[in-house]
Amino acid sequence: MMQLMPKAMRWFSAILFIAALTAAFWRIPTPPAPAFVPPPAPSTSQHPIQFAAEFLPRAAESAHAASLAQLPDGRIAAAWFAGSKEGADDVAIWFSLRDKDGWRTAQPIANRESTAGGTFAHVRKIGNPVLFVEGTWLHLWYVSVAVGGWAGSSINHSVSTDAGATWFKPTKLQTSPFASISTLVRTQPIPLADGGLGLPVYHEFIAKHGEWLRLSATGQILDKTRMSHEVRTLQPALAVLDEQHALAVLRDAGPGPGKVRVTSTQDAGQTWQAGAALPIPNPNSSVALLRLKSGRLLLAGNPQNGREAILLWVSADEGKTWQASRTVETAPDGGAEFSYPALLLDRDGLIHIAYTWRRQGIKHAAFSEAWLDEVKP
Amino acid sequence: MNAHAAYGLLAHGLIFGAIVSLLPLGELRARAALLATGLALVAGIAPMMHGTFGAPSLTLLQLALLQLANKTPSPFGQRSALGLFIFGLLFYPTALGLGAFDPYALGYQPWMLLAALIPIAGVLWWRRQNTWLIILTIDLAGYASGLFVNLWDALFDPLLFLVAAFVVGQRLVLRVIASRLSNK
Repeated sequence: MMQLMPKAMRWFSAILFIAALTAAFWRIPTPPAPAFVPPPAPSTSQHPIQFAAEFLPRAAESAHAASLAQLPDGRIAAAWFAGSKEGADDVAIWFSLRDKDGWRTAQPIANRESTAGGTFAHVRKIGNPVLFVEGTWLHLWYVSVAVGGWAGSSINHSVSTDAGATWFKPTKLQTSPFASISTLVRTQPIPLADGGLGLPVYHEFIAKHGEWLRLSATGQILDKTRMSHEVRTLQPALAVLDEQHALAVLRDAGPGPGKVRVTSTQDAGQTWQAGAALPIPNPNSSVALLRLKSGRLLLAGNPQNGREAILLWVSADEGKTWQASRTVETAPDGGAEFSYPALLLDRDGLIHIAYTWRRQGIKHAAFSEAWLDEVKP
Repeated sequence: MNAHAAYGLLAHGLIFGAIVSLLPLGELRARAALLATGLALVAGIAPMMHGTFGAPSLTLLQLALLQLANKTPSPFGQRSALGLFIFGLLFYPTALGLGAFDPYALGYQPWMLLAALIPIAGVLWWRRQNTWLIILTIDLAGYASGLFVNLWDALFDPLLFLVAAFVVGQRLVLRVIASRLSNK
């Protein structure tokens, strides 16, 4: 009997392994081949020349990294991080809605404590929110750090079903084998034809490069792909060209003065091919990309010499060539910082931009395509 | 409740208890391990470990449970520690950003990984490594349950890599000391 037991155990463990292996194979997700939701056919915007700017409600001493989304009822939502300074204990993700009467009082929707409470993990600082509307769901992704600097960030995800009034507890996206570190988010996801999303993210530890997360309709990560470049790149911002093609522009992470980097996919995000740098300067700063109602692409960024202006460029040929367009704001005082633009096209065809204003607040401007084409004074 | 986060927190409490049980505490060993597990959960140690290392793998949790149960000899011997250590040396730099290939991404739709585990399980079975085969089986069951999005997270984790490095390093240090003593 004493000799039979190990033998029986041996066969029993083999049977158990086969059962577990079968169950594991059965559980592997089998998504369809990815495809983007194709962009609407180009049309002419009816808005006359218009441009209007205003500040978002002041939330704290320092503010940075805004994100915009439009709710189903037409209101514009904004989220950004603010506190005594970037990375401080008191930094929270703030949220405000703009209706016909302007921006409403900002409310904190996530902080260190709420993030730690949802993820059951220590959190040292938070930052970089990204909003996205999907039906009646308002998604929020943002980064949090447990140990070290921003390179140790991981991504948290939360959802509101009441236009941002209340939020579900955040969950952490499992994006890397070491506490999900060094996956950061900055720009909006892209809807996929299967009901899922493609989330452009980036990596900062050991190497700096863009990444692409394919999410299922239930938010599960289905795939992760690197956007490799010869140079260090960050913060991919995407525009979809058709069901399989998309263009991403990326921040040139230096060293030295750089150019806006570009990568593209021909298979809906399964693989990415780095292209030649655009003839657009990038002083190691975040850029934003938007497909306009006319089908042209709009890029927002900074000039070569720093973050003292927010500039716009337009491409009428799917990103092959670019023309300088308008200056949203500039200041000659050297210490000015206008950075981290976020772009949004609302359902009326009006273009919105939100950006960090001297690190003191977030500024929002709404303008028409006609304003972009207006002969500059 | 986020099941994966809750799992990570509780598992780190148990792992901390297992680490404490490694101390030479004699008769107090079991009580100290229990106390350490509770303390880790209420005094912020487990959340700190969870924030720093992420949720532990089922492999590490099972090794911790075997340690808490005082199972001797431990299945985590020199050979297995060296194997995991070498694997970690190759895996982590590439998975954390070095080069264009990301081996961690293979774990989201792990057809190849699961196929690769079949011969490994065959070797474990052939060599009568029943404990390791059961550990691997429970890892796979954990993945099949949906607790882990990525199969790698059920199999392996950075804290397990550190434990393996410690076991390998400890052996090396003992060898060096022994060789120096024998030379005197």
